[in-house]
Amino acid sequence: MSGRKVKIEVRDLCKCFGDLEVLNHMNFDIYEGEFLCVVGPTGCGKTTFCNVVTRLLPLTQGAITMGGEEIDFKKHNVSFVFQEPSCIPWRTVWDDIKIGLQIKGVNKTEVRRRVNAIIELTGLTGFEHFYPSQISASMKQRVAIARAFVTEPDLLLMDEPFGQLDTRTRFSIENQLIEIWQKTKRTIIFVTHNLEEAVYLSERILVCTQKPTGIKEEVLVDLPHPRDITDPKFVEIRNRVTDLVKWWE
Amino acid sequence: MEEKINREKYKTLGYNVLTLFLFLAIWTLAYWLIKSPFFPSPLMVFNAFLELLIHGDIEDVKLGMHIQQSLWRIFGGFAAACILGIPLGLLMGLYGRVYDSTKVLIEPIRFIPPVAWIPLVIVLLVGYFRFVFIIWLGAFFPIFIGTLLSVRGVNPLHIEVPKSFGASRFYIIRNIVLPSVLPEVLTSMRVGLGIAWECIMAAEMIGGERVGIGIMILKYAQLIRMDAIIVGIIVIGIIGFGLNEIFIFVEKRIFRWKEVVSI
Ligand SMILES: Nc1ncnc2c1ncn2[C@@H]1O[C@H](COP(=O)(O)OP(=O)(O)OP(=O)(O)O)[C@@H](O)[C@H]1O
Ligand SMILES: [Mg+2]
Repeated sequence: MSGRKVKIEVRDLCKCFGDLEVLNHMNFDIYEGEFLCVVGPTGCGKTTFCNVVTRLLPLTQGAITMGGEEIDFKKHNVSFVFQEPSCIPWRTVWDDIKIGLQIKGVNKTEVRRRVNAIIELTGLTGFEHFYPSQISASMKQRVAIARAFVTEPDLLLMDEPFGQLDTRTRFSIENQLIEIWQKTKRTIIFVTHNLEEAVYLSERILVCTQKPTGIKEEVLVDLPHPRDITDPKFVEIRNRVTDLVKWWE
Repeated sequence: MEEKINREKYKTLGYNVLTLFLFLAIWTLAYWLIKSPFFPSPLMVFNAFLELLIHGDIEDVKLGMHIQQSLWRIFGGFAAACILGIPLGLLMGLYGRVYDSTKVLIEPIRFIPPVAWIPLVIVLLVGYFRFVFIIWLGAFFPIFIGTLLSVRGVNPLHIEVPKSFGASRFYIIRNIVLPSVLPEVLTSMRVGLGIAWECIMAAEMIGGERVGIGIMILKYAQLIRMDAIIVGIIVIGIIGFGLNEIFIFVEKRIFRWKEVVSI
C-alpha cells in the first residue's frame, strides 16, 4: 500500500455519545481509489464511523481530512448507501435515483442517460414509476444503491448495503460493484458483517475491536479480480480474518 | 380485478342503504310506540325539511340561506386558521427554538376551549367577524400543532439522503420536509374543520343574528318544533360528512404513494 496517494486521513478519532465511548483514538489512512472493507462486532460503531467520516455526526476529538480539507458534501462528491431503508416514500424509483443528480444540477439529458443506465445495471427496468410501497425490500435496497452509484462519487460509503438481497442478486451486484470500481477507481468504504464478502470484494480489511472501538488489525487482500472463493489463498485469508474476529467467543 | 373492486363498491353501497333503511324503520316504529307530540316521525321531519327548503322559516329565511351563511362563516374562520396555522407550524417545527421560547404563551391558550372566549367575543366583535374569530380559535390550534408535530416527525434519514449529496437547506425544506408533512397537515386540517363546525354551532346559538343553521335551530327550539330542530341537526351532520369526504377524496388523489388513507 505504501507509495499510494492518501485520500482520507483519520487522526486520533474519538466519538462519544454522552458517557458512551464508541470510537476510541482511531488512526489510519484511506488511499485514493482504494476498496476498503470495515468489519467488526455488531454495535461496535461502524455506522457511527461512516456518519462521522462524512460529518453527518460531529466528532468528539481528532480530525478527518480529505485531500487536506474537512469533508464537505457541497464540495466533495460523496455518496452514502445507508444501512436502514432510505427510499423516499413519495418519490418513484426514477425520481428517487435521480435525486443526487438533481441536487448537483446535472442537465436533463445527462440525467436521463445515467439513470437509465443504472436502472438497467441494478435490474430495476420496468419499475421506474413504482413507489417504494409497491416494490420489495431487495428492490428498495437496489434503489438506494443505484441512487448512490449514479452520481459517480469520489467517495462511496456503503453501510451493509447487501443485507436485504437474495444470494443471486447479491453475487451479481457484488460483481457489478467490482466492475464499476475497477473501471472508475473510486474510493469505496464498505461496511459488512459478512467476512467472505469482505475478502471477496476489498483490497484491505479493517478489523475493529469491541467498544470502545479501535482497529485490531489490517488485513491486505492482494488477490486479483475476479476472485474464486474456493481458491486456497482466498480460503486462507478468510480464515485469518475469521480468527481475528471471533466475536462470538 | 377492476370488476371485483367495482363489485365490492356496490356491495358496500348496498349495505349502507340497508343501514339507513333499518334506521328509518326503527325510528318509525318508535314513533308509533311512543306517540308523543315531542317525537316526530321521519315523514314529519321530511315535510318540515321541504317546508324550510321551499318556504323558509318563521322569518321567511330559506334553509339554503341558512346553510350558505354558516358555510360562509366557516370558510372565513377556517381559511384564516390555515393561513396562519400552517406557516407558523412549519416555522416553529423547523426552528424549534421559536416554539420553545414562546411555549409559555402558546400552550395555555391552546387549552382554553374556544367556547370560553364567546362572552369576550360578544362584547368585542359584531357580525361576521364574531363568528370568524371563534371558528378561527377552534380550528387554528389543531392545524398549527398538527403541522408543528409533523415537521418534527420527518424521518431523519430522508433528510440525510439529500444532505449527503450536498443539498441546500432550501432544497431539503421544499423537496423533503414539505411533501413529507403534507399528509399530516391535511389530516390536521380535517380535524380543524370538524372543530370549526362545532364552534359555528356554539357561536350561532348565542344568538344575535337572523341567519345560520345554529340560529335556525334556536328559533325552532323556542317554539318547541321538534321536526324542524331535527332537520337542522341532520343538515349539520350531512354537511360535516360531506366536507370530510371531500378532504378524504383530495388526500387519496394527492397521496397515491401512500398505501392507506386514514379515516
Ligand atoms: N445517536 C446515538 N445516540 C447514542 N448512542 C448511539 C447513537 N448512535 C449509536 N449509538 C451507540 O453507538 C454504538 C455503535 O452504534 P452503531 O450503529 O455505529 O453500530 P454498528 O457497528 O453500526 O452496529 P451494526 O453492525 O449492528 O449495524 C451502539 O452502542 C449504539 O448504542
Ligand atoms: Mg450499523
